[in-house]
Amino acid sequence: MSSWLDYTINGLIVGNVYALVAVGLALIFGVSRLINFAQGSIYLVGAYIGWVAVVQLHTPLPLTIIVVAVAAALVGLIIERFGLRPLQNSVRIAPLLATIGISFVLDQLVMLTFSPNPRALPSQLPDVRFQVGGGTIGPLDLLIAGVGLTSALLLFVFLRYSKLGWAVRAASQDRDAAMQMGVDVNRVNQAVFGIAAALGGVSGMLVGMYYNQIDTAMSLQATLKGVVAEVVGGAGNVPGAVIGSLLLGLVESYGVAVFGTSYRNLFAFLLLVVVLVLRPNGLFASARQAPPEPLTGTFIAPSRPVRIPRWALLAAAAIFAVLPFFPVSFYVLQTLINAWLLGMLALSLTLVAGTIGQVSLGHAALLAIGAYTSALLSMTLSVPVGLSIIGGGLMCAALGTALISPSFRLRGHYVSIATLAIGEIVSLVILNWESVTRGPIGISGIPPLSLFGYDLISPTSIYWFSFAVMVVLALLQGRLLTSHLGRSFRAIRDDDIAARAYGLSLNRYKSLAFIFGGFAAGVSGGIAAHLYSYINHETFNTQQSILALTVVILGGLGNVVGAILGSVALVGLPEVFRIAAEYRILIYGIVLLLLVRFRPQGLLGTM
Amino acid sequence: MSNIDRRSLVKGSLAVMMAGAASRAAFAQSSEPILLGVSGPLTGPNAQYGTQWKQGFDLALDEIMAAGGINGRKLAYQFEDSQSDPRQSVAIAQKFVSDPRIVMELGDFSSPASMAASPIYQRGGLVQFGFTNSHPDFTKGGDFMWSTSVSQADEQPLLAAYAVKRLGLKKLAVLHLNTDWGRTSRDYFVKAAKGYGAEIAVTEGYIAEERDFRSTLVRVRDASPDGLILISYYSDGALIARQARQVGLKQVICAASSVYSPKFLELGGEAVEDVHLGTRYFPEDPRPEVKKFIAGFKAKYGGQEPDAFNAYSYDAMNMAAAVVKIGGTDRRAVRDAFAKVKDVSSVIFGSATFDVESRRVKGAMNAELVVRKGQFALWDGKPT
Repeated sequence: MSSWLDYTINGLIVGNVYALVAVGLALIFGVSRLINFAQGSIYLVGAYIGWVAVVQLHTPLPLTIIVVAVAAALVGLIIERFGLRPLQNSVRIAPLLATIGISFVLDQLVMLTFSPNPRALPSQLPDVRFQVGGGTIGPLDLLIAGVGLTSALLLFVFLRYSKLGWAVRAASQDRDAAMQMGVDVNRVNQAVFGIAAALGGVSGMLVGMYYNQIDTAMSLQATLKGVVAEVVGGAGNVPGAVIGSLLLGLVESYGVAVFGTSYRNLFAFLLLVVVLVLRPNGLFASARQAPPEPLTGTFIAPSRPVRIPRWALLAAAAIFAVLPFFPVSFYVLQTLINAWLLGMLALSLTLVAGTIGQVSLGHAALLAIGAYTSALLSMTLSVPVGLSIIGGGLMCAALGTALISPSFRLRGHYVSIATLAIGEIVSLVILNWESVTRGPIGISGIPPLSLFGYDLISPTSIYWFSFAVMVVLALLQGRLLTSHLGRSFRAIRDDDIAARAYGLSLNRYKSLAFIFGGFAAGVSGGIAAHLYSYINHETFNTQQSILALTVVILGGLGNVVGAILGSVALVGLPEVFRIAAEYRILIYGIVLLLLVRFRPQGLLGTM
Repeated sequence: MSNIDRRSLVKGSLAVMMAGAASRAAFAQSSEPILLGVSGPLTGPNAQYGTQWKQGFDLALDEIMAAGGINGRKLAYQFEDSQSDPRQSVAIAQKFVSDPRIVMELGDFSSPASMAASPIYQRGGLVQFGFTNSHPDFTKGGDFMWSTSVSQADEQPLLAAYAVKRLGLKKLAVLHLNTDWGRTSRDYFVKAAKGYGAEIAVTEGYIAEERDFRSTLVRVRDASPDGLILISYYSDGALIARQARQVGLKQVICAASSVYSPKFLELGGEAVEDVHLGTRYFPEDPRPEVKKFIAGFKAKYGGQEPDAFNAYSYDAMNMAAAVVKIGGTDRRAVRDAFAKVKDVSSVIFGSATFDVESRRVKGAMNAELVVRKGQFALWDGKPT
């Protein structure tokens, strides 16, 4: 019994840590309806500024906290002013992509300045431990809890009783009306970003001290857990974020208690999905609250797509088809093979995200399902590789649609968060379902691609094969978009209430889109498995999901040609920047930001 | 940073492009260095390991140059950042295979990135020398895959002997990274420890991003073991040790050699005092190759102590040099040379000779260390 007390205390302690990030995220979401993917990077920056202050400048703790808060707030203000404010009047998805780009840039800057080696960040508090249950807690636990609760309380008071707080709330309820009443919305945004960033920076520093360890990989994890906690508590709800964090910590801790350590994150993400399905606005949203998202139509704004004449497309296809006859190196062909594989994934995502408006952040899971299915079919059941890839596509269509169906009733950002969680769940199931997936050992010795008994092993033949598959999928999708089905998809995206009033069954159409998209993604994963010959649970990770979304937004949502163009660009750019060695991801991030800034509707525009 | 800096790399590749195939023969005898390709993470979540590789490579190259290079020619490497991402490692593989200057490839770091590239190296006839690839299937990718990674079938029984026979632990809790490496290691460890008569009370696998181990440690406590075994890298190993001491677990901790790093001491602080670990070499090691390595490393990197990954890459570069000395610049001859090199001086193995069947090196050195007063020291046989 005493162990349960310990699990409870441990859950609350780690929940405490999550709360620091979640409160900042909630504040920003509350005002600008934006999930700030750069919050984890500010947390990282705060940790390293804290390191400089403590280890280099030997500042005492109160001064350290002030230094970190001020510096992080400055970073937040810069992000708001130069990264997000210029995008105010563009499509609502542009700022989301901008925060992803900003997080790339910040993480890389920290890595280049401080090297990727982890560092110790010594705690400046006396090392006394208090016995609680079977374990102990230290002064840092109390300080973290104190900072979390105090900041939540202060924010609550600030939002409720101060004039700027009223302005913040007014702006979050109705930005246009607030402006008409004379609220300076920019100043409100500035204040919110400054406060959230200061909080994020201080939390990074405190967590670094807590573990006596900071490294550049902590940013993405912090964002992921923070987002889960925030959405569980009710996006935009500051006290809710604290309670959501504690709940998340408890669920993880009990999950470890009952099933073991390797199931921990599985429970975190299952909690999120369950909460989203049962209470889409989070646990602590009041019933009378206005819908947290505007209708999807404003989330993905229509724009005039760039019309590419048919002859130009044909010419481009012809050039790529005959490319291997010219003296191009296998390296170029391999890079293009990667682009075609990513292109298939992007076709899938541009259909579900762009055409029907379900912005998925877990698309790499579809690759994994396709890859594992095809690999296992060909290896254990000796299915010929060509057929096994189709099997991977079909399995992915079926399983992917089934997994995603609980999130069909969600809208806007919530779909992204739910799919993010589903993607993580798939990866964790692959890790833990050892009898089928061989767990962390992975599957090796997957047979190479083959077609009608002929092995495709030369880069040229793999190039033609993947290009042909992608072109066929693209043509099918192009045909689909011009059919009545495509029009229905877009109608649902642009105004789901009107579409429903018109008699369209939303779930059925969303399922159809996911079935088609799942097939394309599954085929891409299947080809990748046979190309790589080895896969494990890390092969298809969250970064690939984020990359796929970036491709789709860059190309123009719903735009078939745009998805392919975006894939070539985002596979090609990091390769082109190889010459810049360690700086290449930084340059990539900056280019991404510039693209979002000047073409927020994507290179070819939304279809 | 890297041995050939970026400018000469740009110049080199431009020169190759412009000069075309005709002048390639001229390069072969000229003062152009013999070039090795390295595929590894310089950015992304594993970036720290790529930077450690570079340190070891650069030190080994300095020594190789000082000794006159490879039959009078320079040796150099071209490091391509893969972020440990299989998509990028396969592109790098094609890049290296189609670049006639590259005579051998080293890396990648993670199994998904390395083994995804193996078919390309195998078909392209370029040796993939995976010096950190412990995945049991890595060298099964083909006869161009060679590895000096210490086989876990070798290492884990040594650790088990240390924990069970020497330290007298009878009931063990095993915490391991839930990766292919951690999982394979755990299985070998558990088998060996049971063979020595110990009982395995509980095993817990955790993912690499994990920071919080308190609840895991409650499970460990409830299993009431008399020793904790960490199959961890240094950063997570330090975290577990700290949290174990914080929650009041006082059992003996015994860790795999991968925690052997000055960072383990820095990050773990007082909590890693008295942690036992089996390693392949140690600071006061009397072996001449180790003395040379540690002294050279400290001199080159401002007094910094080398760690396990520095040693792996230092050894790998020395092995590559020995192979190229025999095999020259012909890729097939380089592959065949791996079977011919004998007794290459090595920090990890003492002297390394490949087992031609498995394409791996057997018989890693073993030293039983303990952390005393914040330093790694040879274990004096006293209980802690």
